[in-house]
Amino acid sequence: MERAIEMKNISKSFGKNSVLKNIDLEINRGSIHALLGENGTGKSTLMNILNGLLKPDQGTIKIFNKQYSYKNLKWKSQISFVHQELSLVNDLSVYENLFLGNEILKGGLLDKKKMIKEAQSILDQMDLKIDCKEKVANLEISSKQLVEISKSLIHKAEIIILDEPTSSLNDVEISTLFRVMKKLKEHGKTLIFISHKLNEVLQICDSFTVMRDGRAIKSGPVTEETTESQLSGYMVGKKLSMFSKELHSHSDEKTLEIKHMSKTGQFKDINMTAFRGEIVGFTGLDGDGKSELFESVTGSNYPYSGEILVNGKPINARNTSNAFLSGLTYVSRNRKENGIFKDLSVEDNLLMPIYSKLSKYGLINTRAKQIEFNEMVQDLHIKFGDENDRITSLSGGNQQKILIARALSSIPKIVILDNPTQGVDINSKFEIYSYIQKLSNLGVTFVILTNEYNEIKKLCDQIYIMYQGEIQKKLTYEELTEEKVLFYSMGGRNQDEGYEENKVL
Amino acid sequence: MKVMKKIRSFKFNNRDFIKNNSPLMAFLALFLFAMVVKGRTFFNLNNIMNILLNNSIIGIIALGMMLIIITSGIDLSVGSLLAVTGIVDVFVLNSTGSIFLSLASAIAVGSILGLFTGTLVARFAIPSFIVTLGTMRIYRSVAEYGLNGGGILATGNNNFTQISNGNVFGIPYPVLFWLVVSIVVSILVNKTAFGRHIYSVGSNSKASFLAGINVKKVLILVYVIAGVLVAIASILEASRLGSMNSSSSGTNYEMDAIAATVIGGTAMMGGKGSVVGTTFGTLTLGIINNLMNLLGMNAFWVGAVKGAIIIAAVLMQMFLNRKERN
Repeated sequence: MERAIEMKNISKSFGKNSVLKNIDLEINRGSIHALLGENGTGKSTLMNILNGLLKPDQGTIKIFNKQYSYKNLKWKSQISFVHQELSLVNDLSVYENLFLGNEILKGGLLDKKKMIKEAQSILDQMDLKIDCKEKVANLEISSKQLVEISKSLIHKAEIIILDEPTSSLNDVEISTLFRVMKKLKEHGKTLIFISHKLNEVLQICDSFTVMRDGRAIKSGPVTEETTESQLSGYMVGKKLSMFSKELHSHSDEKTLEIKHMSKTGQFKDINMTAFRGEIVGFTGLDGDGKSELFESVTGSNYPYSGEILVNGKPINARNTSNAFLSGLTYVSRNRKENGIFKDLSVEDNLLMPIYSKLSKYGLINTRAKQIEFNEMVQDLHIKFGDENDRITSLSGGNQQKILIARALSSIPKIVILDNPTQGVDINSKFEIYSYIQKLSNLGVTFVILTNEYNEIKKLCDQIYIMYQGEIQKKLTYEELTEEKVLFYSMGGRNQDEGYEENKVL
Repeated sequence: MKVMKKIRSFKFNNRDFIKNNSPLMAFLALFLFAMVVKGRTFFNLNNIMNILLNNSIIGIIALGMMLIIITSGIDLSVGSLLAVTGIVDVFVLNSTGSIFLSLASAIAVGSILGLFTGTLVARFAIPSFIVTLGTMRIYRSVAEYGLNGGGILATGNNNFTQISNGNVFGIPYPVLFWLVVSIVVSILVNKTAFGRHIYSVGSNSKASFLAGINVKKVLILVYVIAGVLVAIASILEASRLGSMNSSSSGTNYEMDAIAATVIGGTAMMGGKGSVVGTTFGTLTLGIINNLMNLLGMNAFWVGAVKGAIIIAAVLMQMFLNRKERN
C-alpha cells in the first residue's frame, strides 16, 4: 500500500521546552488514522509541522513517497487542516465560503454560476443536504463543520487533518460526519482524526498513534481486539477504573425546583426537582432546549414563564447577578466565547466573580486571594506556570478547570455545568469528575448538561432526557442504559414495558 | 520568604521587559533624545515642572478615558463636557462666591452627564462611539447657547485661581492633583473588585455576564467616574485661566486623551491598560509638544508629529505582541 505520510525522527523544541522527541509517523493512503494523546502532548505541534506552519529542529518528511524540504513548503497544498474553531465567514453563503480566496473569475468578475454549480456538486458528492446558497450563519454547527471539510475538497487536498471534529456534535451529527469521512476514504483521501473519544476511534479509524510527553508511545492498526482501555492505557500510562460510578447519597432537602417553566420556541412546561448533594443530568440531541432552559434558570435568558425556587424560595432570574446572589452559578458550553477572559491572568480568571467577597474596606485582600486561589488550584490539579500568566498560556483542559473552579469559588448551592469536559483529555476529565463528586458529597447540587453517555453514567443520580424543548423521560441511575437515552432523546414515547419491543428502531 | 522566591526566580529578559514597559521605554527614549538635542534648555527643573503642569489636565482626563477604553468603549465627548462642567463651575462661583459650591456643582454635573452616557451605552446597548459623538455635539451646543458663543470670567472669589496657580515646594497644585488621581485610579483598577471587573467586562463581556458580574453597573460606573475626572480637570482649567470659553475650551482634548491612552499601551479592543502606561503616554505627548516648542518648529507641525507618534506607538505594540505569539 502507498504511504501518504512518512515523517521520520521529528524533534521540535520551543526554547528549553522540548515538545517533540524523535517522532515517527507513517500513514497509508486512503486510510483514517487516529492521533491520540492528552492535551499538551504535542499533537498540535506535530500537525503544524506536517502542515508546514512550523519548522522541525530535525527530521524528514515524505508525502506520497516524495521527500520535501521546509525551504519552499511545496507539499503544503496537498494538506488541509480543519481546526476545532471553524474559520467560516458567517455573513457569506456556503459557496462563497468554499471559494473564499480561490474565486472563479470570468472576465475579471466573479463567475457565480460556475462556483454555485461546483460547490453544490461537491456537497452532493458527500450526500450532504446543504444548499450552497444558504448563509453560513443559518447552518447548524455540525453543518458548518461539514462545509469546512468540503472546503478542503475544493482545494483538492489529499490529506485532511480533523482536529476534534466531534467535540461539539451530538450522536446523530457524529454519524453524519462519520459517513462523510468514510466517503472521503473511498475517494482515496487520507484522514488524520484527532479525538479524545476512544469509542469513536474504534468505530471509524484504521490505525492509530498514541502520543505521550512528546513521544509516539504506540502505533498500530485498529483491529477487532483493540479496546478502549488499551488505548487509554497507552495514553495515561496507567489503567483507570473507567466509567464506574461511585455510590453516593444525597439528602432530602430540596435545593432547586423548577415549576412549569416555558419559553416560546425554546422549552415547554419544564418541571424538575434537585436535592442537596445530588448530581442531576440533562441530555438530549441538538435543539432539545436544555441549554436555553438553564440559561434562563441562571439569568441569561430572560424573560421566561414559570417559577424557579432555590431552597424553597422563589427567585427572579432577571439577570445573572440575581441568580448568582441566590447561589446559582453556570459554566457555558462555549469556553472561548463565553468562558475565559483571554487578556487576563490565570488568577483573575479564577477569582473574578468573588473579588467583592474577598475585599475588606473595599480593597481586595491579597492574603485571602492567595489562599483561595491556591486551594482551588490544588483541588482541581490545575497546571500553570505563574498565577500572573495569561489564561491563554494554559492547555484547554486546564482552562476548563479554571472555569469550573470559578463557578465553584463562590461556594454556590447549585452549579450548572454545560458540557463540562469539552475538549478535555482523559486525565483532566477524571480530575473534574472526582472534584464534582467530592463537592456533591459536601452538599453542592450539580446539574450537568451533556451529550456524552459515559459522563452521565459516571456522575448522575437522576437523568432527564429532553426532546424538542420538553422533558421526554426521567430516569434514575438504576434504570439508565445507553439504548434508552438514545431512544428517548430521539423522541421515543413509550412506556417502559413497551420500550423493549421498539428497541430495533 | 515569598520575596526571596520571587527574587530567585527573577530572570531578566530583555524582550519581556521592553514589551511589558513599552510606554515607559518610548518615554525614556524621547526624554534622552530631548536631553541630547536641547541639553540644559530642556533638562532643568523649571522646564520639567512646566511639562508636568501643562499636561496634568489631559493626564487626568486620559485616566478616565483609559477606564472607558479598557471596557472596549470610547468617549469623544470629554472636551465638550470639560467646557460644560467648567462653565457650570465658574457660573456657580460667580453667583454664590463659594468655591466649595462651585466645585461640588461641577463634579455633580460631570457625574450626572457620565451617568447619562453610561446608561445609553449599557442599558440601550448603543455603541459608545455613536453615543459620545452625539453628546459631544450636544454639550458643545448647550455651552455655546448658554454663553452666546462667548466666555465667562471667574470673578466670584479671588482665591479660586489659587487652585491651579499655587504650589507646594515648587510643585504646582495641578501636578499634585494629577499624582493623587493617578494613585487613586491605580488602586481602583488593581485592588478593588470593581476595578478588576472593568478588565473582565472589556476582555469578554458575555463571559463576565455569565459569571454573575453586573456588567451594566460596571459600564455605567466607569462613565460616571470618567465624568467626575473630566469635571476635576475642568476645575483646574478654569482656575488656571481664570475663565472658560464656550466654543474653544476643551477642543481636541478628546484626541489628546485618546492618544495618551493608546500610546500608554491600552488596547482599543479592551481588556488591557494600566495607569502607569497612560501616565507615561501623557508625558510622551507632553515632551513632544515641549520639544517642538524649544526647537522653534512651526506650530502647525505639532499635529502631524503627534499623529505619527500615535501610529508608531501602536505599530510597536503590535510588533512586540506578534513576537510573543510566535
